[in-house]
Formats: sequence, C-alpha cells, structure tokens
Amino acid sequence: MIQVEGLEKQYGDFPAVRGLSFTVQPGEVLGLVGPNGAGKTTTIRSIAGIIIPTRGTIRIGGFDLAAQPVSAKSLLAFIPDEPHLFEYLTAEEHLRFVGRLYQVADVDTRIPGLLEELDLAQKRTALPGELSRGMKQKLAIACGLLHSPAALLLDEPLTGLDPVGIRRMKATIVRRAEAGAAVILSSHLLHLVEEICTRVLVMNAGQTVAIGTVADIVASRPALSGRRLEDIFLALITPERDQQP
Amino acid sequence: MIRVFLYLAWRSTYNRVARQARQLKNPRYLAALAFGLTYLWIVAVDQRPEHPPQVLVGARWLELVGAIGVIGALLWGWIFGIERRVLAFSPAEVTFLFSGPVTRRGLVQYKLLRNQILILFNSLLWTLILARERFGASPWLRALSIWVLLTTISFHRLGASFVRTSLLEHGRIALRHRVVSLVLLGALVIGVAWSIQDAMPDLAAGWAGGLTTFLDALTEAAERPVPHVLLAPFRAMVRPLAAHTLGDWLRAAGPALGLLVLHYIWVIRADAAFEEASAEAALRRARLSSRERATPRLAHRRLPALLRLAPVGWPAQALLWKNLLAVVRTRRARNVAGALAVGALVAAVLSFQVQGSIAEAAGWLAVTWAGLAVVIGPQWVRNDLRSDLLKLDLLRSYPLAGRSVVAAETAASTLVLTALQAGLLLVAYFAFLGNSHMEPPLGLRTVALLTALASLPGINYLGMLIQNGAAILFPAWVHLGGGRPGGVEALGQNMLIIVAYSAVLAAALALPGTLGLLVFYLLRDEVGWWGLVPGVAVLLLGLAIEAAVLLGWLGRVFESTDPAAADVAA
Repeated sequence: MIQVEGLEKQYGDFPAVRGLSFTVQPGEVLGLVGPNGAGKTTTIRSIAGIIIPTRGTIRIGGFDLAAQPVSAKSLLAFIPDEPHLFEYLTAEEHLRFVGRLYQVADVDTRIPGLLEELDLAQKRTALPGELSRGMKQKLAIACGLLHSPAALLLDEPLTGLDPVGIRRMKATIVRRAEAGAAVILSSHLLHLVEEICTRVLVMNAGQTVAIGTVADIVASRPALSGRRLEDIFLALITPERDQQP
Repeated sequence: MIRVFLYLAWRSTYNRVARQARQLKNPRYLAALAFGLTYLWIVAVDQRPEHPPQVLVGARWLELVGAIGVIGALLWGWIFGIERRVLAFSPAEVTFLFSGPVTRRGLVQYKLLRNQILILFNSLLWTLILARERFGASPWLRALSIWVLLTTISFHRLGASFVRTSLLEHGRIALRHRVVSLVLLGALVIGVAWSIQDAMPDLAAGWAGGLTTFLDALTEAAERPVPHVLLAPFRAMVRPLAAHTLGDWLRAAGPALGLLVLHYIWVIRADAAFEEASAEAALRRARLSSRERATPRLAHRRLPALLRLAPVGWPAQALLWKNLLAVVRTRRARNVAGALAVGALVAAVLSFQVQGSIAEAAGWLAVTWAGLAVVIGPQWVRNDLRSDLLKLDLLRSYPLAGRSVVAAETAASTLVLTALQAGLLLVAYFAFLGNSHMEPPLGLRTVALLTALASLPGINYLGMLIQNGAAILFPAWVHLGGGRPGGVEALGQNMLIIVAYSAVLAAALALPGTLGLLVFYLLRDEVGWWGLVPGVAVLLLGLAIEAAVLLGWLGRVFESTDPAAADVAA
C-alpha cells in the first residue's frame, strides 16, 4: 500500500532524510522511532505529500505521489502532532468539510459513529476555540478517519490525549489496521510502538538503523536479546562508547 | 527590565529580518526586492517636482489640515476602540512575560517599545514619500518630526484604549478615576461641535467657491478663539513637519516633544492610577490562552440552507464553503449586510422626498466606496490563501490540485468583496431612484448597474488572484493570517502596497478592458447601450483567460512551495 524507495530530503546542505526505503502492506502498523532530528517527521510529511522529496519515489496504493498526487492523497490521511483546525468551523462542520474534499457520499451516516467513537458527540457544535487540546486532537483524528483511508499516517497521535483517549486511540488504530489500512505511526512513546506496531523502523540522522519486527531486530543483534524495546532503541541509536553500562 | 525588553525586541526583529533576507537567495525574491526598490525610488526620488509644485494642500494649510487629520485619527480610536490590536501579545510573550516577574507597567512599556518597530519603519517610508519641496525641513528633521507625530498618536490610542476598557468594564467606579481624561475629551468634542456649527455658514459658502476658497474659510474659522485653543495641541503635533528651517523646526519641536512626553506619562500612569484599571483588564484578556482568543464571536452557528455543503461535487468547493462561513458567521458581516439593506431602503424613500439631495449625496458616496473597494477592498477582505497559507501543511495534504486550491480560495474573497460592492451600488441605485431630473437617466443607470454587477466579479477575481499570488510567491514577505498592521502608524506601508497593487491590477485589466470598450464603441451606433452586453462579455472573456493562465502558474508554485517558508510572515 505504501512504497518508499530511496527517499531523500535535503534542506540546503543538511540531509534530513537519506536513502530511506521501505513498504507498508495493508493491515500492517509500522512504528517510526528515532531521536529528535532523526528525520521521522520529514519522512511522514513527505509521504503525506506536504514536503517534496529531493530524491526518491513514494507510491500510495500504486499511485506515484509525484506524478498522480490527487489520486495518491485521496487514499491517505495524515494526522499531525499539532492539530490544525479552522476556527470558524464546528466539529461536525470539520467532518462535512473533509467529507466533501474526499467525496464521502455517506458522510451523514458516518459522522455520528465517528463522533461517538472519539468521544466527541457532545462537542458536535463546538468551535475549535471551545475545545481542549485533547479534544482538538481527537477532532483532527476524526477528520483523518472519516474517509476510511487506505493509508494512515500518524505523527505523535497521542499528544494531549487523556488516558481514556489514549486507550480509545490505540484501539482505533488497531481496528483500522485490522480493517486493511496500512498505518505508519511516528512516536517517541516506545511502549505504544511496542504494543500496537507490527514492525518498527528505527531512524537516526536521516537513515534507517533497523527495520522489522522487534524479534527480527533482536535476532540480527543477539546482544540485545531479552532486553526491553527502550534498551534496544538506545542501543541502536547510541554509539557503543556512549552507552550506559 | 527595560534592557530585557530591548534585547527581546531587537533580537526578534533582527532575526526576523535576517530570515527574510535569506530568502534573497531565491531569484524570485531577489526580483521582487529589485522591483520594490525601483518602486520606492520612483515614489521618493524620481517623481519629485523640480520646482515647488502648486499643490492643493499648500504650506499655509498644511498645519491646519494635518491637525484636523490628527483629530480624526484620535477620535476614531476613542469611538471605535482598537485596544485588542494595541495590546495584542503573542503566545510566546504571554508565556514568558505574564508568568515572569514583570509588572503591568513593564508590560505596557514593552508593548510601547514593540510598537516602535512599526513606527520607525513607517517614519522612514513617510520620509521618503513626502518630498522635501513640500515639507521644508531636511530629511533627518522630517523623519524625526514624523516619528514624534506617529509615536504621540500611538501613545494616545493606547491611553484611549485604557480609558475605554476601564469604562466598559467598571462603569461608574472607573468614571471617577478617569474624570480628567473624560472631561478633556468631552470639552474637545463639545468645542469641536460648537466650532463647526458656528463656522458652518462660512464653510458652506467657501465650499461653493471651490477647494481653495474652502480651505481659506477653514483657516479663517480656525483662527477664532475657541477653535484656536482647541486646535493648538494638534497643530503643535504637526508643526515640526511644516517647518522650513532648522530654527523654525527647533521652535516647533519643543511643544511637540512636550506633548509626546505628556502622552507617555499618561499611558504609563494610566495603569498605576487604578488597581482594576483598563490596562489590567486588557492585559488579563491577553493573558487568556490562545483558546480564548481563538474563539471568534459568531452571530450564530445555524447555517442558512444556501450554505449547506453537499457531500459530493467539486472537492475544492469545500474550501470556498469554509472561507465563506468564516465571513458570513461573524457579527461584522451581518451588521454590514443589515446596514446596507436598511441604507438602500432609507435611500429609496428619501430619494422621493424633498430632501432628495441627501439621498443623492449618499448615493454618490456609495458609488465612490464601491469603486474604491476595487483597490482597497482586497486589503479588508482576506478570507483566502492569505489566511489559510499558515495551514499550508493541511492544504497540501488534501487530495486537491494546486490550481483548484488557489481557484477556490480566491473565489471566496472575491464573492465577499463583490457582495459588498453590489450592496453599495444598490444603495446608490435606490438613492437616485426618485430623482427624475438626474443625469444619466434611470434607464442608463440601470444599464450601468447591471454592467457593474456583471463585470465586478471578474475584475475582483483577477485582483484577488494578484493578492493571493503575492502570498504564494512571497510567503516569507507577505503578512499572512490576521492582525495585519493597521491604524495611522501603518498608513505609509499600507498606502504604498495599495498603490503598487493598483498599478499591477491596472496593467492586468488594460488589455481586456480595452477590447471590451472597443467592442462597445463599435456596436454603440447600431444597438446603443445594449452594446455594453458584448463589451462586458469580451471583458469577462479576457479576464477569464488571464485568470486561467495565472491559476495554472500559481497552482504549480503552490504545489512546490516549502511549507516552512510560509511560517515566516505569520
């Protein structure tokens, strides 16, 4: 569903992403982890069609994002860490707005269920300014899920959510993946990645450090056997001389 | 503490300018800078007359006309209030300053300091704009005079906002504490009203004799005892600008600087004078998080049937719908629509009455504003990419082609501006309705109205496309989002922008307009005023072709714009 080949993004002399290649199949949840500045957000924004890569190819559902951006984007949803909402649209109107963009004919039947799923039913007529940070995030998520995207890109999706919201969000992600969506999830919350991701892509300095299931990664580095994901992550991104004993 | 404020203001400005200057590596920005500098050169230097011009507002009237202008600007602040803009703090300022060990007075001082950046920039612009031949002092003295004037006006607006807010929030208690300010204001208003009434016959007679005679009558009226006293401080503010020699300037600068200092003391003490003063209230509002400030005051949330969005259709129409909602829902939009409707009704009734001349004057005023809105309107109506480019990330993630985004965004502001102009033209049409002696006759006026209503959407669309194009091409330099600099302090830069925009729009309209007129004149002998129909059709066709070409180009630029570039001018 999501194919990335040789992705590179250069900001002036600074290479933010270098030669990244991976695929995400329907039903998979790929966790994108790495330290600050590793290139996770640049990668996810490139796949969302926001940033134009310097080199490389991105395909969504077989559509080349550079050559057929509208077809490719109609299959995906991007949910950023900071919810961008329009101040004059109510929660429900945000969904109607997105419904028109993605040509969701049955938007009237989808909206109530989605608002219920994300605990927004009581805030149907609220403006973004009247919503808490977490509620705004939920609304942004609802907007992303409305058209049942085949590819779901989530950048720190749990930011601002309360414990109930986090639980619901995790269930929502898993449910969408089980329904056949290809999901890329960028997060610093390693327990979240460990819990819901089927594979992990560890990035550092714009490059792939490791990719695969946690078991695959451990198998390729026997020294990491039996350690928690956090330790594995630190071991992968930190030079050996800097590692804590 | 002032050193901290200076550091923050200086470094913020320096870094912002440096970041904008770095854009010059891009040839597009470099070309824009060259264009802008050439434009400034033409305005400031190349068009200066070799000999002192026979200007309308000559030196003898300059001080008086300037003083009246200052009174108008200050009264505007008192009546309409702009405290939100004057005391607007950024989220970062709120986070660091409001939670830090900074007094309310310190915050006001910081704000005054930040306003200086805008004032200094506009002082420079005005120094370039006002030719030496018309304003006698040397460029340096002229710059200093303009700075003193703009700073005093800025201080006054802030002080007025304190008093207004204090009165609105604390009523009678505030009344007691603001008694000096209010007595002075009341005396000024009563004095001005009395003086105008007293001088009205002479002014009316002068008006009948033309502008020069009117200005002479005005000068004479201003020399009468009461107006003389009332105008004295305002003339003192303007006098340094009219000084021709260093000696004149030095004599004039003393009182102007004195007024500046008095205003500063007034503004700074306005906070300390009253525990629950308006400064506190205004700052408290600013302290409220972005959540509070992001909640617009809406007329109501129920949508009219006309504005329901069908789930399928042209996808980009969702953007148009969203941007129209942003305007339609505000109280201001409803107030303007209501005022125009009532205005049209009243004008229609008055036009059949004996007082028809009032209706006629109102009609011409409405026509003038409708025409001016072609060039000024895009500065007011900004519910398009100039607001949405701050959410470029989001726009770029939508499954829309760049040209569709630009087309829909531009259509939104075009519709709003055209509706405003149509309202004004209808007011004018009804105001002239009962006047059977008027030239042109009713039939021709109807044709003119229909022609305008048919052609304005096309003209406005092209104009808005130019405005949006500037935002897409130079997102780091064009002000995006709300909170655009306004008021007298920013008048210089806004004026330059409007003149430059008018020139570009005129160039874009030249060919379609000429072709339309040509068709009309060729057919006029055959079909009379009906020739306007094919004339307008040709005009609209020409505009459509130009718009299509521009849309294609701007759409491609939009698709290749780096979202990071759009953050700079936020």
